[in-house]
Amino acid sequence: MGQTGEYTARVIRQEALDADAFLLTLEAPELAAAAQPGQFAMIGCGSGYDPFLRRPLSIHRAQSTAGAVSFLYRVRGQGTEWLATRRQGEFVPLLGPLGRGFRFAGNSRRALLVGAGIGAAPLLFLAEALAGLNWTLNILLGARTAHSLFCRSALERYGRVHAITDDGSAGRRGSVNALLQEALKKGTYADIFACGPQPVLQAVQRASADRGIPAQLSLEENMACGLGACMGCTCRGSDPSRMLRVCAEGPVFDAEEVILDD
Amino acid sequence: MTDLAVSIAGISMSNPVLVASGTFGYGAEYHPVFDVSRLGALVTKGLTLRPCAGNPGRRLCETPAGLLNAIGLQNPGVEVFIGDILPAMRSYGVPVIANIAGATDEEYVALAERLDGSGVAGLELNISCPNVQAGGMALGTDPCLAASVVAAVVQATSLPVIVKLTPNVTDIVGLARAVVDAGAAALSLINTLLGLAIDVETGRPALGNITGGLSGPAIRPVAVRAVWQVAQAVDVPIIGMGGICTGRDALEFILAGASAVAVGSAFFHDPLAAVKIIEDLERYCDRKGIADWRTLIGAAWKS
Repeated sequence: MGQTGEYTARVIRQEALDADAFLLTLEAPELAAAAQPGQFAMIGCGSGYDPFLRRPLSIHRAQSTAGAVSFLYRVRGQGTEWLATRRQGEFVPLLGPLGRGFRFAGNSRRALLVGAGIGAAPLLFLAEALAGLNWTLNILLGARTAHSLFCRSALERYGRVHAITDDGSAGRRGSVNALLQEALKKGTYADIFACGPQPVLQAVQRASADRGIPAQLSLEENMACGLGACMGCTCRGSDPSRMLRVCAEGPVFDAEEVILDD
Repeated sequence: MTDLAVSIAGISMSNPVLVASGTFGYGAEYHPVFDVSRLGALVTKGLTLRPCAGNPGRRLCETPAGLLNAIGLQNPGVEVFIGDILPAMRSYGVPVIANIAGATDEEYVALAERLDGSGVAGLELNISCPNVQAGGMALGTDPCLAASVVAAVVQATSLPVIVKLTPNVTDIVGLARAVVDAGAAALSLINTLLGLAIDVETGRPALGNITGGLSGPAIRPVAVRAVWQVAQAVDVPIIGMGGICTGRDALEFILAGASAVAVGSAFFHDPLAAVKIIEDLERYCDRKGIADWRTLIGAAWKS
């Protein structure tokens, strides 16, 4: 994991992808060089004390040669609303890279990547890294509509993408969980990597246990410090005496490490 | 450059900027972000005799200019702290103050005895945590119970005993007098204010613990008022805390009577807050031509 630091990052680009989803690209060379797939940053979202807390956003892409880092996010409240109004040339404070990202080693393995909604954001960074190691990737992507399959074309550069939408406007109508069951019946995989809403993570966790395929899950939680200091973002560990900090032991956990609450 | 050194309850510090228990882990968490040896002292997350898993469910909820928390004292217990954490914490070369929390007087005494000679510079008695069932705030809202636990701990240890008080009382001055009479060497003012937030989408309280402790700039005037009142009533130094984000905020506490300040929730807003506050204080003293910064302590009511 790279060295964590506090930076003031200049906005290179802010693209509106739909009414409330945005792709923010920041000039952050240290972060771009140090970040690992699955890690996140705490981004200051406001000019005063309201909102007070930073927002944890997973790193969508890190381009170390360009010194740029991208975040794919949806406006959910006051903080992300403020962030979405930042324009080119403005600055945002940022702490990162943070947390334990995806673990992968070795060449030419076969992996299943599963993501849904805006939660699929970290998959692009991961897919790029795995493709660089000649992994063969099958990427399952779910979204509400065809339009919200934001990183589909970017992901297609690194693997075979199967899409499914809530309204059937791209692929079949249904949830990414249906694609997961089919993919596991048809193919064999050395690893599964997943991010997205809780039902997707739960399905991957079950599939991992049933079929004995190691899986890694990227969790989301409200955070305050992002550094493992405040104990505010914990989830239950499989060992009942342990609460795990999503920001420090995670956000990417081995599927058997955590208990996912409904 | 102004010398910001100060001594609190016999603990010498290079400057009066500490960290508030629970917001800074054990120091190592923030060390990649800034040099924590620049701080006046480190204060641990609340330590209990045995490991404590903390509260289930959601633990944080952002509120206007602050946040509610209900962590529930998650910590690895005093033995793991002494064996595995304290050596690294001491390596920064600044005093380490152990914040301790028990359910009974006996637990506080056992913690104090165990930490005596461990290498910590002092104890901060947490009799003000709003997020635990037993001990905590229940002990700290009754002057008699508070005095009894303070007296027992003072007797059990050679370490200076700092007592952290809750603002969730009618008469914080009476409480402060009681614990000072019982032997407190210094006071930390204030712990969080008891609060509650409701998620209107689910129709349920936002926090798993239902209630939580409110911190951040939202509570700062309450804390400044508590310091102002208590500083004029007792003879021990006060560590002021509650929403301090800038040097200006820290000065407000100092002028109200605090001999040191602690930075807490501000770390979540700006991880470099404490360093900036130290620099702000130095600049303020230089700008005002103040030779001894300690003349500022309580200056708002002394002059």
